[in-house]
Amino acid sequence: MSEEIIRGKVLKHDTQTRTMHWIHLLAFIILGLTGIGFYWDIAGIANIFGGPANASLVHRWTGVVFIVGPTLYILLNFDRFSRFIDTISSFSKDDFAWLKTMGGYVPFIKVEEAPPQEKYNAGQKILGGLIIIGCLLIILTGFPMWLWKDVVSSAFLALCYNVHFWTAIIMILLVAGHFFLAAIHPKSRVEFASMMLDGYIDAEITAPHNAKWFAELQKTE
Amino acid sequence: MSIFTEKVGMTRRQFLKGSGMLAVAVIVSGVFAKIGFDAFAASDEYIAQRAAGLYTLDEKMALRKSHENPEIIQIYQEFLSPGEQKYLSEKAHHLLHTKYGKDIPSFIEELKGHSGEAA
Repeated sequence: MSEEIIRGKVLKHDTQTRTMHWIHLLAFIILGLTGIGFYWDIAGIANIFGGPANASLVHRWTGVVFIVGPTLYILLNFDRFSRFIDTISSFSKDDFAWLKTMGGYVPFIKVEEAPPQEKYNAGQKILGGLIIIGCLLIILTGFPMWLWKDVVSSAFLALCYNVHFWTAIIMILLVAGHFFLAAIHPKSRVEFASMMLDGYIDAEITAPHNAKWFAELQKTE
Repeated sequence: MSIFTEKVGMTRRQFLKGSGMLAVAVIVSGVFAKIGFDAFAASDEYIAQRAAGLYTLDEKMALRKSHENPEIIQIYQEFLSPGEQKYLSEKAHHLLHTKYGKDIPSFIEELKGHSGEAA
């Protein structure tokens, strides 16, 4: 990497992506809160949403928003979705090298220079894949609990409840880790404003963090 | 200041991967939805068979209406409303209607009060 400071801004996340991310995040928070309230029978949480019956309604219909938001985004932005899927499903030697050192994010693993990464680093790629699988599992187990509870066997329903619960717990932990790295960790917290506010990030940050992707951007400029 | 933006569009490889991911999601959801619709169909069929069974049993009964049952008519004519068939007679009301909750203690007292009459 050259010592020269690269000036400029990179549009990392466009308006539609940021809108979808906001909608999905807000839906996830409401679903997580109401779900925790149901599972541990916490009256305080249910009361925020107008009591257990209303909290249940809010949970179900927010679940619909949780599905419709990304679905609309995918249908309206199929090229962006395809590029995203291509990026997170392609693992190169650099990605495996990045994973070996955890990209320098872990304090006790010293790294001189992390291997060059694409738009998303290897950790983000794994997170993206897990979020997609988790969302599918939560959606596929959520609807039987809502709409099929009178027609499917209790064993199948119990399986749905268990998968729904454990997937939700893993997703909450993943999102907590995602929030820590994107908003708090000093190495990467600039990402937060990029996704949650204007979509831009300084080129001098992108150039070392996402070197392969930035090289592509420079070619198209 | 330079503004760097992504190239719009997608390559054939990106298109195939995006379509593949979408297709997998749609197929998995479709298979799952099929399981649900089949369960609904099986449930509807069970309800229809059960209803048909109950109607068949009912149709086979010699007496299908309680108010045409000679034993019930006899009970009314000889005990609940002597000399006639008065289905809402006071005695029928007291003996055949159930009391709930707070009304039970007073009902027990009422029955105790009537206990001498029966003998």
